[in-house]
Amino acid sequence: MRNYIIKRLFYSVIIAWGILTVTFILLRIGPSSPVDRYILNIAARGSDVESVRQAIEARYGLDKPLLEQYFDYMGNLLQGNWGWSFSASMPVMDLIGSHWIYSFQLILLSTIFAILLGIGLGVLSAVKQNTRFDYAASIFSFIGISIPNFWLGLMLIMAFAVNLGMFKTYYDTSYSIWSLENLRQLILPVLALGTGELAGYVRYTRSSMLDNLHKEFVTTARAKGLPERTVIGKHVFRNAMLPLVTIIMFDLGSVVFGGAYLTEIVFGIPGLGQVSFNAIFANDYAVVVAVTLISTFLVLFINLATDILYTYLDPRIRYE
Amino acid sequence: MSDAILKVDNLKTWFYTRRGTVKAVNGMSYSLNKGECLCLVGESGCGKSVSALSLLRLFDSPPGRIVEGHVLYKGVDLVNCTPGHLRSVRGKDIALVFQNAQAALNPVFSIEDQMLEQIKVHYDINNRAAIAKAQTLLEEMMIPAPERALKMYPHQMSGGMKQRAMIAMSLSCDPEILIADEPTTAVDVTIRAQIMHIFRRLKTSRNMSIIFITHDLSLVREIGDRVAVVYAGKVVELAPVAKIMEEPAHPYTRGLISCLPDISSNLNRLPSIPGNTPNPLDLPPGCAFHPRCSMAMNICSSNEPFLTGIADDHMVACHLYNARAGENK
Repeated sequence: MRNYIIKRLFYSVIIAWGILTVTFILLRIGPSSPVDRYILNIAARGSDVESVRQAIEARYGLDKPLLEQYFDYMGNLLQGNWGWSFSASMPVMDLIGSHWIYSFQLILLSTIFAILLGIGLGVLSAVKQNTRFDYAASIFSFIGISIPNFWLGLMLIMAFAVNLGMFKTYYDTSYSIWSLENLRQLILPVLALGTGELAGYVRYTRSSMLDNLHKEFVTTARAKGLPERTVIGKHVFRNAMLPLVTIIMFDLGSVVFGGAYLTEIVFGIPGLGQVSFNAIFANDYAVVVAVTLISTFLVLFINLATDILYTYLDPRIRYE
Repeated sequence: MSDAILKVDNLKTWFYTRRGTVKAVNGMSYSLNKGECLCLVGESGCGKSVSALSLLRLFDSPPGRIVEGHVLYKGVDLVNCTPGHLRSVRGKDIALVFQNAQAALNPVFSIEDQMLEQIKVHYDINNRAAIAKAQTLLEEMMIPAPERALKMYPHQMSGGMKQRAMIAMSLSCDPEILIADEPTTAVDVTIRAQIMHIFRRLKTSRNMSIIFITHDLSLVREIGDRVAVVYAGKVVELAPVAKIMEEPAHPYTRGLISCLPDISSNLNRLPSIPGNTPNPLDLPPGCAFHPRCSMAMNICSSNEPFLTGIADDHMVACHLYNARAGENK
């Protein structure tokens, strides 16, 4: 098991390196340069554009051949230097350091919300199969799956912030992260990001529970005289969890890469999604590569965690 | 019978499916005496397994429902007792051994976990004592290194070991009655011999009352005291094993016995009963066996025969004997 984890970590580093290389090269071979933004301002003031461009490019080593730039970047990265953000005019490290928490709180809260409620409703749906509750949960989850989360975000803002005035229409960074006000203003973003996931988990949990509800070992559990909550909550649920873990962890990856970005932009949350969104338009390659790298590691870590979690949930799974 | 500890009376378990009503158990009656092994014998699909599950209301409901009948155990009718009482009987007074231990054991919990949860739900007992009890039981089932076996998961055990662990589990709360649903069908011949040995020993050492469900008449001869022959969800003949083997009364029983291979004869081909078991969705009127019966009379297709005594310990549900009883009067 330890060897397996070490092996997987080693692979993770290789995968991350590959993604980093591709991202770096794609961004640097493009026709535009991070310097363009400065140049525009300078050209408007009527200065000598070409000499300024050369000066800046020389300053940041952008005039060197691409391969050399790549090795410079890699060398700096290995020393813990993530490069310079042209658009924010600060080290990438500081930029990410001051913004990651906004993304993290959003992803964490909406994931907890979706998992707890989704699994809970799914289990109830399966146990009360073909009742009114089950139908209501099914209709809710079909709607939830079908709605894009950015649209849901806009609708929530319109209904609860604009019309009812219950929330501010934008995310207020003047509150401390750990304050109750901050938690309150995250309600709409968490609903927007979490509802789609939740709806999916309801369906997956329901069908996975139904798959196991009529297995022979369930009859055995009842024949042993166990109370129904042990039969369902232990014997059925533990087996139903196995496919669910895959789906939930897989989903988490898409939340990290996709959903959270859009939600941040809709609600004006200054998280990494917002940061990389701005960086892409400013051609700020160091920031884009850094955010991509972080997301990649996060997803690789989630995958590894899933595989390890499996061995705890299902004793039949062992890694060499 | 005064020493009957379980009495099943006219039990009917029907399944209401989209294609119609499946009358899986359709008026089953028998009683089980203390310390005896009653064998329920019949072809597959005749309702023996459902009747066993019905005793503890373990079939899926819906679609299944007990529409009529009683299961009397210690003066309580298990058909309409409270769920709480039923739970206290399940696994404690009446325990089940299933056909396929591979499917009947939960794959994600250890044997210890699965044994202990049953012991702890029925006894107020600490963990150490429960583990000791589980170990003793595994030992009794001739499982080598019981303390190691307890830590195992079902997939780490051989088929025979799983089946024996399953039996150990069913015995863990010292039940009065053991219901074994074809416990040797899913195992190979050597394991079958071991399992049968265990059941014989349970009878002698624990004076266990056993309902043994099988389609294999050679097992009946090995372990049974009395036999109930089941056809289309109903007991058609009930008698001691020797009597069933020597002088079967019901034409269906006679057919079954004649199908047994006999080592002393040199037949090329074993006889078989013509036709198939009736479709439980659409049972024939009258006696359900009449379309396959070589001795069917007019009355057989219109009137249902009832279980009547033809000797002290021999009951049969067939118009041949009802008619004869009528003539004698």
